[in-house]
Amino acid sequence: MLELRAITAGYDRRAPVLREVDLTVADGESVGLLGPSGCGKSTLARVAALLHRPDAGQVRLAGEPVTGFRHRAPRAQRTAVGVVFQQPRLSADPRLTLRDLVAEPLRATGRAAHVPERTADLARTVGLGDDLLTRRPHEVSDGQLQRACLARALVLRPRLLICDEMTAMLDASTTAALVGVVEAYRADSGAALLAVGHDRVLLERWCDRVTEFAASGTASEAAVA
Amino acid sequence: MSSPLLAVAGLSVRFRMSGGRTVAAVSDVSFDLAAGECLALVGESGCGKSVLASALLGLLPGNAEVRGAVHAGGRDLLTADERTLARRVRGRLIGLVPQSPAAHLTPVRTVRAQLAETVRELTGAGAAALPDAVLAAADRAAFPADHLDRYPHQLSGGLAQRAATALALVGDAPLLVADEPTTGLDRALVDRTVDELRRHVDDGRGLLVITHDLAAAERVADRVAVMYAGRIVELADAGTFFGKPGPRHPYAAGLLAALPERDFTPIPGMPPELHALPPGCAFAPRCPRATDACAQRPALTEGTACHHALDSAHA
Amino acid sequence: MTHTTAPPAPRVPREGWTVPAGARRRRRDYRALRVRTAAALVVALALAVLAVPLLFPLDQQAVDLANKLQPPSAAHPFGTDDVGRDVLLRCVYGLRVSLLVGLVAALVASVLGVCVGALAAAVGGTTDRLVMRVVDAISSVPHLLLGVFIVAMFRPGVWPVIVSVGLTHWVSTARIVRAEIHSLRSRPFIDAAVSGGASRWRVAVRHLVPGVWPQAALAAVLMVPHAIWHESALSFLGLGIPPHQASLGTMTEAARGSLLAGDWWPTLFPGLFIVIPTLAIAGLAGAWRERINPRRRSELML
Repeated sequence: MLELRAITAGYDRRAPVLREVDLTVADGESVGLLGPSGCGKSTLARVAALLHRPDAGQVRLAGEPVTGFRHRAPRAQRTAVGVVFQQPRLSADPRLTLRDLVAEPLRATGRAAHVPERTADLARTVGLGDDLLTRRPHEVSDGQLQRACLARALVLRPRLLICDEMTAMLDASTTAALVGVVEAYRADSGAALLAVGHDRVLLERWCDRVTEFAASGTASEAAVA
Repeated sequence: MSSPLLAVAGLSVRFRMSGGRTVAAVSDVSFDLAAGECLALVGESGCGKSVLASALLGLLPGNAEVRGAVHAGGRDLLTADERTLARRVRGRLIGLVPQSPAAHLTPVRTVRAQLAETVRELTGAGAAALPDAVLAAADRAAFPADHLDRYPHQLSGGLAQRAATALALVGDAPLLVADEPTTGLDRALVDRTVDELRRHVDDGRGLLVITHDLAAAERVADRVAVMYAGRIVELADAGTFFGKPGPRHPYAAGLLAALPERDFTPIPGMPPELHALPPGCAFAPRCPRATDACAQRPALTEGTACHHALDSAHA
Repeated sequence: MTHTTAPPAPRVPREGWTVPAGARRRRRDYRALRVRTAAALVVALALAVLAVPLLFPLDQQAVDLANKLQPPSAAHPFGTDDVGRDVLLRCVYGLRVSLLVGLVAALVASVLGVCVGALAAAVGGTTDRLVMRVVDAISSVPHLLLGVFIVAMFRPGVWPVIVSVGLTHWVSTARIVRAEIHSLRSRPFIDAAVSGGASRWRVAVRHLVPGVWPQAALAAVLMVPHAIWHESALSFLGLGIPPHQASLGTMTEAARGSLLAGDWWPTLFPGLFIVIPTLAIAGLAGAWRERINPRRRSELML
């Protein structure tokens, strides 16, 4: 599903955060990427989500080589990957209601006709009531907002889901609930998962295999645990 | 046993919102904290934990109303005026270990300059004694002296946390309040941070840790208070809570069961809205053991606020 | 250690709800008063400039030398000037011109600034750098000097003044808009939108422009007093509004001579008419800025 080959990436060419990192996620597989904060695992997640152009290396998504990132990536390729970020507050547009937040990818890809049915469906899946859907991000808790962000990531039925520290800000029950939603979606659709985090217990419970990122940003390669 | 450092009695906090709504953030919370003891206040985000911390430090916004009493250092913190709070309470009686140390430190000044300012303000140390006092303050939080001349952005997460803790300890406050001290840190750093907090407890300070991280709470706390929808639903010894026989309130039990090292199953549903709390037990709609009796709000007796508390043999 | 059996510490819970002590509430009340005063002043001045010309037409050229330099009285609350004209009436007419210039010029400058700033941020790269260097170059020349150059190319009148203000003041808005868009663009919610298949255009229209608009509008409101001062300064220098036409700048200029003779009212009142609307508008804008500040919004988050 996803193949990262010799990825070197960062925000300054002279001091890349990642050097020559390899990572593979097979179809339907769930991979946990474990590492301490600041080791570059979030950068790798952004590269995998086609949101950050690496300085060197190759990315293949579903067998197709990726030639462009962000807006330069074809829409079909971009939307094949769903992303959930660590901080729900920063990853939700503060002006949109939760309903619009979830529906936005459908509208952006010209599938507005599916909005009522899909949003209702997903709201039920992630456990958001009608009352919550009419609110804006500052009127709900972190946990509720992250549920909406997960629904947004699932709304286009991605074949690969990337969860970048999705549960770092959340309590145990909400964590278990969101992981349950992700796993139910994967069981239903056969999607692959890349879960990035620093909680070994969680990732080992959640994923088929856990790949460890060596400490510090100059990790030479990600060894398979 | 000495009299408690902090005695919270029947504390309630509510916010008056526009449109006449009221949000009951904290309802009828009572607990004590003794010197050399650590109490962990755990619960989901939005259950009122942080509001409680703000109330203790007199940092509530203008639309808040309070009821009850918070006694510490021989005065009621709820009736103390701003001047007393600023001069006698914050920093001197209660030290705050902040949620995000990076945001708590001024980015444009070195750690030494910030420590020096706080030392001068809180202890009145003169220019001659100041350098030594700063070194002593840094040492107390195990902040390395050779990093004192760095700016906050040059510090790692762990060192930034120690710098913030050093600031909290300057006034030699007998009571520390740590508001989500481990959010966003990785596991190793969480362990280091809570171990350092624990060290200050062992030095004889009282520590109130507010967190949603049960693993961190287990590592640091002597006692655990579980908060749900603004109320304490369980107040138990950390050993019996995390070990055998386990929690007695169904919510606390559900929260523990949700941990990935345990059952990893969520509690169904979501917490109620604080502006529309049900009249009876707030957990009843999500509770597997709820009956008609739950329409009456259970009082906190023997450490549990539940009509159908799990008996000790259960776990 | 036993805990549930706490010692009988001095704990007497109070029955009723109280507001905790602290300065926050007082500050809130003061803020509310400031906003109300500012709003009342703005409304009163707006009504005055709209209604007075309908009720009391002013002959700009009329001269009544018999009544020249009368101190404030019941008939002339602000006194009369050196050719016997009522200062109050001319102040209102002057404010009308100033406000007109201020509003239109601020609008022109803001539209120009938003367009340039948004375009620079959207295109990025070399174009962005080039545009911002032009902005730097323009702002390195004193506004008034540049304004004088521009009005000097036209005959004195209202429109040259508006063009002058518009062409000199758009740079600050352009900077604000560009910086705001750059900061918004690095937020995860933009990443989420890109990942959700949104086109560049959709990201801009749906997420960036609505995010920038409160800041741009605030800058536009704060620009109104700027424009009023710019207009008054140009008129004071004799380059803006023609001298016979009532304008706060021309009035202050004309009254300079009588000030030396000790007649204070023809200078003081036009001066106040420049200062008071400025403070009132700035007061309202300040309250708005606090409102759109996300930090204040999150104050109540639990």
